[in-house]
Amino acid sequence: MNIKKYLGPLSKDNPILVQVLGVCSALAVTAQLKPAVVMALSVTIVCAMSNFVISLIRNTIPPRIRIIVQLIIVAALVIVVDLVLQAYVYDISKMLSVFVGLIITNCIIMGRIEAFALGNPPIPSLIDGLANGMGYGAVLVIVGAVREFFASGSLWNYQLIPESWYVENGGFYLNNGLMSIPPMALILVGLLVWIHRSTTKQA
Amino acid sequence: MKNFSNRYIFIYISVLVLVVAVLLSVAAVSLKPLQKENREKEKIAQILQAAGYTDIQGDILVKYREVAEVINIPQEGSKDSLSLIKIKNQKDGSYNYVISLEGKGLWGPLWGYICIGEDGNTVKGAVFAHKGETPGLGAEIEKPKFANTFIGKMLFDENGEFVSVKVVKGGVANSTINPIHGVDAISGGTVTSNGVDKMLYNCLSKYVPFFQFLKQEPTADLDNVNSEIEEVSENNINE
Repeated sequence: MNIKKYLGPLSKDNPILVQVLGVCSALAVTAQLKPAVVMALSVTIVCAMSNFVISLIRNTIPPRIRIIVQLIIVAALVIVVDLVLQAYVYDISKMLSVFVGLIITNCIIMGRIEAFALGNPPIPSLIDGLANGMGYGAVLVIVGAVREFFASGSLWNYQLIPESWYVENGGFYLNNGLMSIPPMALILVGLLVWIHRSTTKQA
Repeated sequence: MKNFSNRYIFIYISVLVLVVAVLLSVAAVSLKPLQKENREKEKIAQILQAAGYTDIQGDILVKYREVAEVINIPQEGSKDSLSLIKIKNQKDGSYNYVISLEGKGLWGPLWGYICIGEDGNTVKGAVFAHKGETPGLGAEIEKPKFANTFIGKMLFDENGEFVSVKVVKGGVANSTINPIHGVDAISGGTVTSNGVDKMLYNCLSKYVPFFQFLKQEPTADLDNVNSEIEEVSENNINE
């Protein structure tokens, strides 16, 4: 197995930075690190599992209804993920709200099923799904960490900037409120794309 | 590409849908108790928050049982009784009454808890929540910044008339409403703010006889509250 081929989505073929897929949710759930990590995990699981299942049954799927079959499988997985989040990490599931349900419309997932899982055996499809989910997740985590640090001076809800630095406590520091709103996520993703393009050689 | 008959396609999709439906039902049913517990805990956290409990150490369920008890008041001409929660205020140790609120906003339901002092008039705290109001606009009602503006407001005017707490568009300062009965609405969240206003009026008006009873006897023993409330409301009707 050619491992390099599967590592593409992590950098060279990154779903967000290069293919510009799944940007909507990347902007919406990255105000803090925690929801960004949970969202990244959810998308990775859904992407890997849907790739795996579709690849298992790929030879039995009638081509005329293949989009319907894919939607049913992806939707079922997304609902399961949503139910699990509500049961085990209720706070975060509330923060992610509709965006878990909207994983189903994430272009990365349908894109990988169409482009890869329908034509490849289950195990490579599973790895492809994992790699794409992680490529997406890496960007989410970077943007989430930067936004949370500058918007509230914390990471994973741990206060990193000492309370005494803040203006209201007689210090000099102010949180950057701009970071907490989605437009700033767009700018950050833009900057990431710029850095990524200028440091990665074009194939 | 293989050619599939229509018959195959119909059977295939029917079987697939059935299998998925069964799997989803199993997942939904088996995870339900945990989800219910989470929602219950959230509700209790909101009730405690309304009563001024900000930092709770240990299990909130234990704390809740320690400081709160549910009181049911039978309603005249109705089988359903009104319920409210008697709770000890963390700040001053007085007994407050938390009433749950339900209403609707722009996109979906609103709910919340309001804590009324032992005089049956002063608002001691409030918490609001929503299903899907617009972030940054209507959704601001769930922030303490909005909810805390209710603290200290009065439900009854100087003549003893029930006026509720109004959520005033354009600000209380620019309106004719007495600042003791009004809070500022949220800019850009008019429908949600109106929803909060209506919710407060509708839910609290049912408790007016109880509040009037409290006003007369703030330290009354609540064990015989029911019969006395009936008396109070009958007097009002006679007046």
